[in-house]
Amino acid sequence: MRTLLRFFQNNYNLLLFLLLEIIAFTLIIQGNSYQRSKLVGLNRQVTGYIYSKADGAREYFSLKEANELLLEENTKLRNRLDLISSSLDSASVISEVKGEHRYYFVQSRIVHNNTYRQYNFLTLNKGKKQGVFRDMGVVSEQGLVGIVLESSANFSTVIPIINREFRLSAKIKSNNYAGILQWDGSSPRFAVLSEIPFHVDLTEGDTILTSGFSSIFPEGIEVGRIESFSLEKGNFYDIKVELFTDFQGLFHVNVIRNYRQEEQLNLEIQYR
Amino acid sequence: MYIIARNIFRFVVVILFQVLVMDNVMINGYMIPYIYILFILLMPFETPRWIQLLSGFALGLAMDLFTGTPGMHTAATVLAAFVRPYLLDLLASRDGYESETFPRIHYYGFLWFLKYTLLIVVIHHLALFYLEVFQLKLFFSTLLRVILSSILSTSTIVLSQYFVFRK
Repeated sequence: MRTLLRFFQNNYNLLLFLLLEIIAFTLIIQGNSYQRSKLVGLNRQVTGYIYSKADGAREYFSLKEANELLLEENTKLRNRLDLISSSLDSASVISEVKGEHRYYFVQSRIVHNNTYRQYNFLTLNKGKKQGVFRDMGVVSEQGLVGIVLESSANFSTVIPIINREFRLSAKIKSNNYAGILQWDGSSPRFAVLSEIPFHVDLTEGDTILTSGFSSIFPEGIEVGRIESFSLEKGNFYDIKVELFTDFQGLFHVNVIRNYRQEEQLNLEIQYR
Repeated sequence: MYIIARNIFRFVVVILFQVLVMDNVMINGYMIPYIYILFILLMPFETPRWIQLLSGFALGLAMDLFTGTPGMHTAATVLAAFVRPYLLDLLASRDGYESETFPRIHYYGFLWFLKYTLLIVVIHHLALFYLEVFQLKLFFSTLLRVILSSILSTSTIVLSQYFVFRK
């Protein structure tokens, strides 16, 4: 007993070191995104506030760039509006008025952005008060961005495509085959589409879209284009996808609210 | 008392500077300056080891909360705080360290500080980057990131000694 006590006495620094490392590693191993979001949730209001203050300063320096982007976006949207209004018939307009539209977009700004880590997160300046909740999709004018992980009153955290925990069902535009889109952690410009069977004909440059199989994104949102593909693992392709969204220059995003998400999820849970 | 207040102040400044300024600096995805371990570097020589370890733990935890990572910064900073006394012994001149001095350029010269910073930065970055990747597939690209980022972090920290934390 005494030798044991003496051992503790002589080595308490080493033991403290080991204890602290064990705590840290427990955090790492346990820290899947859900628990992490709870932990960070306590802090989101505080860090979100600090980040949005700092963002005010940064915004000032990038005003010119932002202006140009907005102008570009404006023209694109105007063009699309023209296209849509010419193709709309009166019936669909009426259903829109009755409030039967499925998706609603919440305009939002990114106040904090990471692109160089393995587990990147974005912070948006909209939260529950503005109608941003868990599991909503996030898109930009360029393409798909990510999924809302958790939101507090005025801020929300987003898992972008470039987070190693991101998973999304995505399909190839030309033949509608769907696979799983993931990020391999190497470059913020590329992601990997897997589980496309070997007999499918692929062409480089083909567009990758959301499949619409999940309740998060509507079908047909552009994700990226096929950069290259290989058949290394036997029956399935490894497809390298060049992402349309430039995460490093991302500024404005839209959060998609799906009014029928709950209904769809409830139905799916019932028959699982 | 004065020294404790000073170190707490430095803790806050270093964290805020890291998350608000340095985290926005990135050069072609490989070079990321992590300068917040400056806090560990500048702790006084006589600091009891258990305080060094706990400070390292607090520093890492604060970074983890800001960046949303679970425990990775914590593991790396605790390691850095643990090896610091050994490195100080290793780098000590024959006379050791005088009392009333601090581990800074001002007292021990440029070369000593550069070696000291580089060693701790490399140990911290190795731990941090490999914990973040957590797979051996990306071994060499991660190693490249460690090397390039270490160079950037070390030079930023050494430069900061001339401008910000002069005394």
